[in-house]
Amino acid sequence: MCWHCQSEVTGEYLCGRCIKVQPLSKDLDYFTCMKLPRRLNIDLTQLETTFYELSRAFHPDFFSQKDETEKSISLGNSALLNTAYRTLKDPIRRAEYLVRLEAGAAKDIRANPPADLFEEILELQEDLEEFDALSPESDQERMEALRTKLEEDRRTLEQRLAQLDAALFRKFDEWDALQETEVVTDDIQTKKQRILQELREILSNRTYVRNILADVVQRLS
Amino acid sequence: MAYSEKVIDHYNNPRNMGSFKKDEPDVGTGIVGAPECGDVMKLQIKVRDNTIVDAKFKTFGCGSAIASSSLATEWLKGKTLEEANQIKNTDIVQELNLPPVKIHCSVLAEDAIKAALNDYKKKAGLQREDTQEGTMASTSSS
Repeated sequence: MCWHCQSEVTGEYLCGRCIKVQPLSKDLDYFTCMKLPRRLNIDLTQLETTFYELSRAFHPDFFSQKDETEKSISLGNSALLNTAYRTLKDPIRRAEYLVRLEAGAAKDIRANPPADLFEEILELQEDLEEFDALSPESDQERMEALRTKLEEDRRTLEQRLAQLDAALFRKFDEWDALQETEVVTDDIQTKKQRILQELREILSNRTYVRNILADVVQRLS
Repeated sequence: MAYSEKVIDHYNNPRNMGSFKKDEPDVGTGIVGAPECGDVMKLQIKVRDNTIVDAKFKTFGCGSAIASSSLATEWLKGKTLEEANQIKNTDIVQELNLPPVKIHCSVLAEDAIKAALNDYKKKAGLQREDTQEGTMASTSSS
């Protein structure tokens, strides 16, 4: 219902009768907002087109002469739109968002903690601490040895990150294939849950690897 | 966002930073991580006669995560295993005045305590290996 004239809203973003801008629902998910199916591989051109189209429709500049309610609706819609665009544009954030969205109320798709990875990270952090504590004058030899080791670690981490990304994008395809099926059976539901769990795990491992890699790179530069 | 004075104090003067040899029979080790931010926390306890006589931590993460684990080690010392198990993340939140966005740091500290306790109990034969308790946090493989 239109907040202004109380009539049924027929237009998409503007009331058909009084032509007042309508607020986007707080419950609107980003995929629906951007007129995209809930897939992990998305049409980026379509995303951009919708983003520009809606940005024009809601841009606060066009509402500077309107009353306070309309101004605030335009601001709110623009903010939602920007967040939706930024989230969907980046494949990692898109995947994280989809996992959160699909998990819904039971948002506990918890990743199993990768114990081996933690051990590696702690060891690497200890190397980094040692590296920081060395002085270029008196510990030159040790410093060079450690630097060589860290360069090696850096390559290993970069490879691992690439592998995680590849694994992640394979899951994108698996998820999308399931989204295409017309009839959602229990079997498909189970498969979807499994993929969400796998996505959650890859994404969380990726965060740990990316963090430690960034730390290593920062020390070496 | 500003950190509370207590967080800054723990961050600048972390208590009990360091580690024990994890294969010692009287040491329990918990290593946990927060998938949202990539923080990793290691917390260790040294136990004698059912009482925690010493505790150490190493945390790689934000100030709140460091402060939460630093505080946890302070609290753990002198507690029995049962008392240690009673420490809740909300106690840490309250003590450090953590803002809502940093509550997961205190959860991480509670998970680390539980994981360390479980690791010790397993070693000491106080608990069966297949127990479901504390599966959320990783118990370090010893």
